[in-house]
Amino acid sequence: MAKSVLSKDVRMIDVPEVDPGSYNPDRPISGLIHMQLVHLSAAEQRFPPNKRTGVNIAMLHKEGEAAEYIAKVTAMLHPRGGKKKKKSGKLRPSAKKTPKKAPAKSRKGGKAAKARR
Amino acid sequence: MSQGLDNLKHIVVLMMENRSFDHMLGALRKTNPKINGLTGNESNPDTTGANVKVQANATYQGQFQHDPDHHFAGVDLQIFGGDMGPDRVPNMQGFIKSYSTQGASVDQSHAVMSYFTPQQLPILTTLATQYALFNGWFASIPGPTLCNRAFAHYGTSFANVDMNLFYITDPILSIYSRMNQAGHSSKVYYYDAASSSLEVPNLLQNQPELFGLYKDFVADAGAGKLPEYSLIEPNYSDHPGPGGGQILACDQHPDHNVKAGERFIAMVYNVIRTNPDLWKSTLLLVVYDEHGGLYDHVPPPAAKGVDGLKGQPPYVAKPAATGTGQPFNFDRLGVRVPSIAISPWIVKGKIVPGPEDPANQRIFEHASIPNTVTEHFIGTYDARTDREQQSDTFLDLLTDTMRPDNDCPAFRL
Repeated sequence: MAKSVLSKDVRMIDVPEVDPGSYNPDRPISGLIHMQLVHLSAAEQRFPPNKRTGVNIAMLHKEGEAAEYIAKVTAMLHPRGGKKKKKSGKLRPSAKKTPKKAPAKSRKGGKAAKARR
Repeated sequence: MSQGLDNLKHIVVLMMENRSFDHMLGALRKTNPKINGLTGNESNPDTTGANVKVQANATYQGQFQHDPDHHFAGVDLQIFGGDMGPDRVPNMQGFIKSYSTQGASVDQSHAVMSYFTPQQLPILTTLATQYALFNGWFASIPGPTLCNRAFAHYGTSFANVDMNLFYITDPILSIYSRMNQAGHSSKVYYYDAASSSLEVPNLLQNQPELFGLYKDFVADAGAGKLPEYSLIEPNYSDHPGPGGGQILACDQHPDHNVKAGERFIAMVYNVIRTNPDLWKSTLLLVVYDEHGGLYDHVPPPAAKGVDGLKGQPPYVAKPAATGTGQPFNFDRLGVRVPSIAISPWIVKGKIVPGPEDPANQRIFEHASIPNTVTEHFIGTYDARTDREQQSDTFLDLLTDTMRPDNDCPAFRL
């Protein structure tokens, strides 16, 4: 952490280390992670069969192995660089797009801008 | 308008997992009676009929090998103690009974009454006592994670109270889409690909351009490119890191190590705190999505406003979805969660009153997040639920005075 940007008399509070041995990728997955697997499995059905992982999520019981699958499908959905994907199904009505405005204080259309006018 | 509000350029929300207000911060009442925490006399009956008091015996990990129930029917039991009558009143007496249905033994079931001492949680305690702590921030619905997070993204869960896949069929945009459409910037930063985002059903599948990784948040903050609105998701699993390292879950969902979450909260805070431009122009909200089945003593109040679009039938969850045999009209909030607003423009030690102070109470829920962001950056915007529009917002906490640098702590990792 760049302490140098802080005043020298800033109160620094120590953050305790996590106990060694806490790491457990063999921990059984929670209901939350299970549902994440279900959602990602449904999401990868949008890809052609030869692009899918071929993983049977019913066989994933531990956090580490779930994480491996999650990483694969997430990379498929959100390749680094964040290229905009073409929507494959109607999930919401298309919204009217307004042109992007230049970054400036006047961009704020909320209370901040109104009070300054 | 206050100077703090005039300077506000960024709102950042860090949403953690599954811990109640009393479990994490209830002990603070002893040092500050204005904090609506625990007296120590609160109790719940267990399955033998014994009355079990809250205890300062929370541990960082290992207490909740069975995950406490946080699905709708389980939370209903927790809040109403099993009373299903038409005129029932919340009594917050069913937490232990609920946990005992999850495979916990009698002794194990008492764990839901545990709470942390302030010394065990130096990060959360520091933030709660240095900035603005909400006595009355509640989960949006008495149910699980995904529906509650949906309220933070859309201001509604589109009539869902469970964790199943759902698709948006109404023209309600997420806060990210609203912002981007209005020429503003926003992003969801998830921890890494192996943790991913929980917003898979709708956003990640269809609008991956709205997402970044936690390391992008750090880079964007450092490069002066932080979006106007950001939501950060913690790491949801223990998994190997690049090059074989160990990445610990830091979401604090039981039974992940709570200390790891403390470290992550500290990291996010430090990113903003150590950047002078960001520190003076950012409000950081640290909030939990739901209570995770852990005890809180405050009965959830009624929800304000109608959960639905004007002119449309309001959202209703059917009995098959609630699991209680009754429909749910989205007219009642979920259990209270920790929520802290952080900015040097906030008065030190501010306590935002909740239901304990009926004359001055302010009730917040996750719809308050998109409402606050919409009102500040976009302004008038009707294509959202009445409930979101009526939810309380929190930027009035920003004052005319910016606390000096030496009055705001930082964390040494």
